[in-house]
Amino acid sequence: MKKPDSKNFILVSLSVVLTIGLMFFYLSKSENLKEAAMSLYSFHDYPEALAGKDSVQLTKQISATEKRVFALQKKIENLWPYDPYLIINTTRNTFVLRTKRQIIREGICSTGSYILLDAGDGQQWVFKTPKGEHRILSKVVDPVWVKPDWAFIEESLPVPSINDPDRFEYGSLGDYALRLGDGYMIHGTLYQRFLGLPVTHGCVRLGDEDLKIVFKNLQIGSKVYIF
Amino acid sequence: MKNINISKKSIIVFIAIQVAIALLAFILFGLVPAHREAGKIKAVADLKSGGANAELPKETLNLIEAVRTGEHHEAYLRSTLKLSRTDSIALLIDLNDSLAFLSLKGVYLYQSKISKIKINKGLKKLPYFLRDSLYSGPLQVVEEISSIEKFPIVIKKAPKDTTEANQSGAAPTLPIQNDVFVMFSFSNNMVIEIDQEEDELAGTGRAYRHYKRQYHRWFMSESLSALFDPESSGYIYHITIELPREDARSIYRALPLKPFVVVRY
Repeated sequence: MKKPDSKNFILVSLSVVLTIGLMFFYLSKSENLKEAAMSLYSFHDYPEALAGKDSVQLTKQISATEKRVFALQKKIENLWPYDPYLIINTTRNTFVLRTKRQIIREGICSTGSYILLDAGDGQQWVFKTPKGEHRILSKVVDPVWVKPDWAFIEESLPVPSINDPDRFEYGSLGDYALRLGDGYMIHGTLYQRFLGLPVTHGCVRLGDEDLKIVFKNLQIGSKVYIF
Repeated sequence: MKNINISKKSIIVFIAIQVAIALLAFILFGLVPAHREAGKIKAVADLKSGGANAELPKETLNLIEAVRTGEHHEAYLRSTLKLSRTDSIALLIDLNDSLAFLSLKGVYLYQSKISKIKINKGLKKLPYFLRDSLYSGPLQVVEEISSIEKFPIVIKKAPKDTTEANQSGAAPTLPIQNDVFVMFSFSNNMVIEIDQEEDELAGTGRAYRHYKRQYHRWFMSESLSALFDPESSGYIYHITIELPREDARSIYRALPLKPFVVVRY
């Protein structure tokens, strides 16, 4: 008598598990079920207040809307800088130098590597290029790089005092630099082979010829958009 | 091997149970949310029309359509202008011209061609006045799921000596480039998915599978919570746009957390 009971118990248990499993499966497919159910419904589109208007009134309304659309488009266009500006894509490591009307130059650059340098003792630096709208604060020919602390820590060298001559490096930033503030710059590079890759400590590196054109076209106060 | 005897009756009962479960699931997870949503739409539609179904000539209907299109375009531009007063990068999706833009202070930073648009049935069937209110104004993302990291941080320990420093400095450390699938959900029951247009997955496809699992989990929890909430219909309006992988990556990484999105249909 005992044997059939245990057999039934197993069968019932299996059925319950199967039912729960199936319900779970259907729940995971609920998006498709909702779509199937929605195809059973249809809705009428009511023209509301517009239904009471004749074709002349409607035509007038269309032309009034078109005028407003045109005015809004103009308003948006007026937000674009009139002078040359630079757009930098930190994901693709590309840049576009342009005016409101045309592209002056586009190409590859190098931006922040997103490396988090952990020196221990709570000392950390994240090498990312700051996104947003920036302005050129100053322009420098033959810039000198004042090496920050992380540049020494990265090379496992002792960090010198602030005005130590070891801090000043000549020639590594290329022929020109455009300062964006907070230590960030647009400058040249000795590592031309890394252009197009995210390898910098937050600055934007350009190839020699691109840098020359960017330097020539952007003035102090020019806008730089980084995304 | 023992012979297992399965009677005809057992098979019929088993099939009947399967059908009953499928039917119950369809009612619970499909029909109930769709019916609730349809009820809401009809209630608003009746209010708007006063219960009367307007029969108008085709010419008038075409003009009405033109007015609506113009007004929606105007609303889209107004939203763009509104967002230009903020400091954040926003996403503009123009389904009409199949373009996706990144905009900061009104300046278009990036533009990508949308190769495919998928809109679910509910959204396609939605009457004009409700569709317009659904899209109206900049929408702020409430939740997001993605197959890539927003900030591809690579942790690097400072070298212990100059030899180690020279070794690590030789080749740059680059972030992993996974496939790009992103989902944004909004407070108005709307979901916008940005998928890469490339069918071939990069690498092992692990990021894609992980994304799909997260997405299904999110959808299931939404469906379940809607079952017990009479206020919520549980029906989600869904738009999927496909972009080139690298464009989708640029767009997602450029956007801040909980970004604003404006859609023109």
